[in-house]
Amino acid sequence: MPRHWRAPLSLLLSAFLPLCTLAANSFENTAIVRTVELGGALVHVTTTYAVKALEDGSSVYTIALGEREHAHTAWLEAKLKGQTERLPLEDFGYHRDSGFYLYTIELPKALNVNQTSNLVIETVQTHATYPWPEEAAQKDPQSLKYHSELLVLSPYKTAVQRTKIRSPSPQVHSYTTPEDVEFTTDAVVTKAGATITYGPFYDIPPSAIQDFVDKKQKEIVIHYAFDYPVLEITELRRTAEISHWGANLNIQDNINLHNAGPRLKGHFSRLEHQSQAYFGKAAPHVLPSLQLHLPAGIHDVYYYDLVGNVSTSHLRTTPSTPKGTEANRFSFLELRPRYPLLGGWNYSFTLGWDSSLSDYAGFDSKTGKYVVGVPIMTVIPSVVVDDAEVAIILPEGATDVDYYAPYPALSESISTHITYLDTIGRPKVTLKYQQLTDKHGGVIYVTYKVPFTAHLRKPVAVATAFIGFFALAFAVKRVDIRLRRK
Amino acid sequence: MPLAYSLPSDLSPATVTNTSSLLRIIALALISGAAIASRLFAVVNFESIIHEFDPWFNYRATKVLAEKGFYAFWNWFDHTAWYPLGRVVGGTIYPGLMATSGVIYNVLHALNLPVDIRNICVLLAPGFSALTAWSTYMFTKELKDESAGLLAAAFIGIAPGYISRSVAGSYDNEAIAIFLLMFTFYSWIKALKTGSAFFGTLTALFYFYMVAAWGGYAFITNMIPLHALTLILMGRFSSRLYVAYSSWYAIGTLASMQVPFVGFQPVRTSEHMAALGVFGLLQIVAFAELVRAHVSSRQFQSILFGSVIVIGVLGVLAFAGLTYKGWIAPWTGRFYSLWDTGYAKKYIPIIASVSEHQPTAWPSFFMDLQFLIFLFPAGVILCFRELRDEHVFVIIYAVVASYFAGVMVRLMLTLTPVVCVAAAVAFSSLLDTYIDPVEPEVSEVAVPVTGGDSSAASPATVDGAVSSKKAKKAAAAVADASSTGIASGIVAAIGGQSKSPKARGIFGLDTRFLIVVNALGMLLFFVLHCTYVTSSAYSSPSVVLASQNPDGSQHIIDDFREAYYWLRQNTPQDAVVMSWWDYGYQIAGMADRPTLVDNNTWNNTHIATVGKAMSSPEEVAYPILRKHDVDYVLIIFGGLIGYSGDDINKFLWMVRIAQGVWPDEIQEPNYFTPKGEYRIDDAASPTMKNSLMYKMSYYRFAELFGGSQAVDRVRGQQVPKTGPTLDYLDEAFTSENWIVRIYQVKKEDLLGRDLKTANAFANGKKRKKSKPLARRKALA
Repeated sequence: MPRHWRAPLSLLLSAFLPLCTLAANSFENTAIVRTVELGGALVHVTTTYAVKALEDGSSVYTIALGEREHAHTAWLEAKLKGQTERLPLEDFGYHRDSGFYLYTIELPKALNVNQTSNLVIETVQTHATYPWPEEAAQKDPQSLKYHSELLVLSPYKTAVQRTKIRSPSPQVHSYTTPEDVEFTTDAVVTKAGATITYGPFYDIPPSAIQDFVDKKQKEIVIHYAFDYPVLEITELRRTAEISHWGANLNIQDNINLHNAGPRLKGHFSRLEHQSQAYFGKAAPHVLPSLQLHLPAGIHDVYYYDLVGNVSTSHLRTTPSTPKGTEANRFSFLELRPRYPLLGGWNYSFTLGWDSSLSDYAGFDSKTGKYVVGVPIMTVIPSVVVDDAEVAIILPEGATDVDYYAPYPALSESISTHITYLDTIGRPKVTLKYQQLTDKHGGVIYVTYKVPFTAHLRKPVAVATAFIGFFALAFAVKRVDIRLRRK
Repeated sequence: MPLAYSLPSDLSPATVTNTSSLLRIIALALISGAAIASRLFAVVNFESIIHEFDPWFNYRATKVLAEKGFYAFWNWFDHTAWYPLGRVVGGTIYPGLMATSGVIYNVLHALNLPVDIRNICVLLAPGFSALTAWSTYMFTKELKDESAGLLAAAFIGIAPGYISRSVAGSYDNEAIAIFLLMFTFYSWIKALKTGSAFFGTLTALFYFYMVAAWGGYAFITNMIPLHALTLILMGRFSSRLYVAYSSWYAIGTLASMQVPFVGFQPVRTSEHMAALGVFGLLQIVAFAELVRAHVSSRQFQSILFGSVIVIGVLGVLAFAGLTYKGWIAPWTGRFYSLWDTGYAKKYIPIIASVSEHQPTAWPSFFMDLQFLIFLFPAGVILCFRELRDEHVFVIIYAVVASYFAGVMVRLMLTLTPVVCVAAAVAFSSLLDTYIDPVEPEVSEVAVPVTGGDSSAASPATVDGAVSSKKAKKAAAAVADASSTGIASGIVAAIGGQSKSPKARGIFGLDTRFLIVVNALGMLLFFVLHCTYVTSSAYSSPSVVLASQNPDGSQHIIDDFREAYYWLRQNTPQDAVVMSWWDYGYQIAGMADRPTLVDNNTWNNTHIATVGKAMSSPEEVAYPILRKHDVDYVLIIFGGLIGYSGDDINKFLWMVRIAQGVWPDEIQEPNYFTPKGEYRIDDAASPTMKNSLMYKMSYYRFAELFGGSQAVDRVRGQQVPKTGPTLDYLDEAFTSENWIVRIYQVKKEDLLGRDLKTANAFANGKKRKKSKPLARRKALA
């Protein structure tokens, strides 16, 4: 699970600091509001903590994630309310005593007693929903279920908290009404339109304790209609190849697409599909095409799969934007798989394009290094990428290779890649990730040096080969090996 | 010595030789370029894709070779083909094509050129067509001269008859076989001319390559002995012939037996006996020559008389005895069908069902060869003029290939090279005669050598390279044979010149100009014709169909790949797919699923089983499907968009082939209406309507038209409004234009009922429920 926070010291620190219980006294939550935006493959959760310091100089705030929550969480970031800057976040890993995963947030300014601050924690959960019913016929609607905990857990005391769950459509089939809930006198749950609100709950003691969870925590389940296909990319392999001779950056994605919606019950009927399209009532779990925003200024876009070119797609390109300006223009690709993707079906394909290297690269004359920024992935809204591998192939003879990823990878390696007209091969940086979401659209910066002689390697090799060939032909033509002269 | 136009005379012979050699190289390079480029229409118009059916298997085999190495390929047992029998691939194919691609692939990868194996396969045929052009040049050069060679190379480079089998993507054995054929013939002629064992061995090596590459090698196996026999009968036996033939036969036969698929055939089957017989005859003749050199002629005659009788009787007895004992296999069906075009239809419907095994229609000769077909006889006649050994070869080749091309469409391929060669000889003789500046004189004057020492300055040469040698020869030919030459006679007749007893030849520039421009015009139209035919007729991959959008832009109909890819991605890896054998290789290649039958039609019974399943009613077909573990049935249906190569049109062949094995159960007449029409509408016969193929094709088809009359656009017939129902199969997938329809075979009913009853129960339950209700209502 890639996260943007750093975790290098966590092991050391956790050995020294049994922090959870110690920290419990330094803060109090005056209010917690959690908003869950239900979706398909991704669920966005925003939790706002209004915190009040109980001690002077309190600057490290701890949040706790339950085991299930942690397993689904693919992205976690903390901000002060109203600000865009991310706060430093540290992973303390699994806390055995309480059974929680702890993270600490360092506040920009230490708080004194009774000073308050508003923290916003944004998380993205993947694979948190599942289709229910698990099978749907071609005409059937699509519904998903989402499981969650009723109370937001915190190592601190909480004065008031509530959880809002927003469904994408007002059609919510069912939601849990928990019984025997303490901390409240009113109705536990209210529904207004597409929003279901649990709470408010008052005066909750420090709850990030196994004991509290066992006794007080309740599970809630939302069953809601979802009108878009639930898509997963089970495997994404991106290869970016930098060519200095061609002034070209080639990006190629090998994608395994999977429709994670309800499995198709019975069989696919083209007749029904065509009549649905004819009457404009497409089934929600069928994916006929995918709209992709590719970078501006690309050319030679190709889209093929294992059996050849796929001709069913439309592309509108835009010229590249000047460097430094905000990239708000995109080339637009309407990508149609060979067949409509029904629930449970797979489709694998390759999509690639060329773009001018100058759009992505720069030269630092101070260090004599080239800098190239390669986007980790093409963001497809509300699609989760289970496994991703990003490989960046540098020019032949590149040295002093360094790279800076926006968030750490699960594994990183540098290997050698040999392709057309290479003699010694090119350095190839490979980074592996899991569970990427639409929040993970970062750029990997690679810096490297290419000596002048490395540029010349290719023409010299080709010239040598040709001269050798001609010399051989010259010699063969002129050496007479016949026994007898004619 | 009068000249029609002046030639530069101050050029040194070395300059002339070098210039003409350079021009020849450039011309050959350009011809190669043209040959390759004209085959790329398919790639430019569509994409780099493997075409048609057989190439998909070759491609798949090549991938195995490239990925797993040669030994894995050699020992490859393909479990997925001919389910459940499997296929020993290494022992049942001609591996030459795959080995060639594999070598190219490995060499390129060793040079750090990681070319995709698919692109190598797609571009192999165009690449080898350039080599074919070169070997045809070498062959024709031996026959006449370099300029004729260049013309022949240009002809073969763009002749549609050869392009039809060698466009980019047509990755079939023929792609390399024609090059091998021409090069084997070239080295044979060369061996015969020089009497060199080296060239004889080279012939044998290329013969071996050919054996490894194409089943059509039998053509060479019989052409060379036929040529040798003719030469012996013409009294042209020589030690050169002996050396050439013996070295070819001994090495070539031993080498060819190394190919597992051929094995001991060269000594055991009738097709190869001619080569063996001529080999024996040559030994006898050579021995007789030796004896004749040592005894007097009267003794020799009696020896000869006696020995001829003894050897003849012994030979016939041996052949009959061996055939009787089964040591020599009798002729195969394909062989008989070469002599009797109706044979296959009667006895082996599988061979007859392939369109390329049909007799050739006359227009296709013109379409494939254009003006070459007119020049071809002229060239053959010109061969009679000199009648050296190699000319005899071309004459035999021409006669044999013409016959075969008339019998089978696909053998047009073997005719094309000889047509190109002969036409080039004729055309180049024409040009020689009319470009040569020498004018006839009334008085006999020796031909001045300086006149022929001209370089390629003449403006009208097509090939751009006229060597001094050629000019010399032409000049000599015109001067020597001016009174009797057939060529000049024909040429003079074309040119409208009347024969005069005194001075024969061409006078003035105007006649020359007229003929040469005319000839160039023919060449130009030939090029236009070839380009047109290639682009319109021979460059469709047939996996992808092209149509036009209303705005004129190209619209690709890609149903085959859509369905195959669906199978590949969304069915279990071991799901068995049943389809008619045409699509077996494509399913294996694109969908990567086991198939029951495929284009390697080695097991007639298995194919007939599929035919029977397709042409039987559901309840008869179902046990067959279950016994063969069939999970999916794939059919091709063109009724919606008018794709005429669909399974309903092929259906009668399935019936016929099934009838061949089960004459009691399947009878072809049952599929026709009482009037004898083949119909699919309301008037269709009940057998037809109940057949699995009919049901699968038209299942829910009428519903698509939403109440209005459904029309099958291929047959132009109206489809019944209530379509067929299926009890034993489920529709699993239908492609966008309904071309490919895939059905899943249902498993047995869990309660042990047969599926028809189960279905009736499932549907009937509702009716039963409503009936008692109605009764109760009536009571109340």
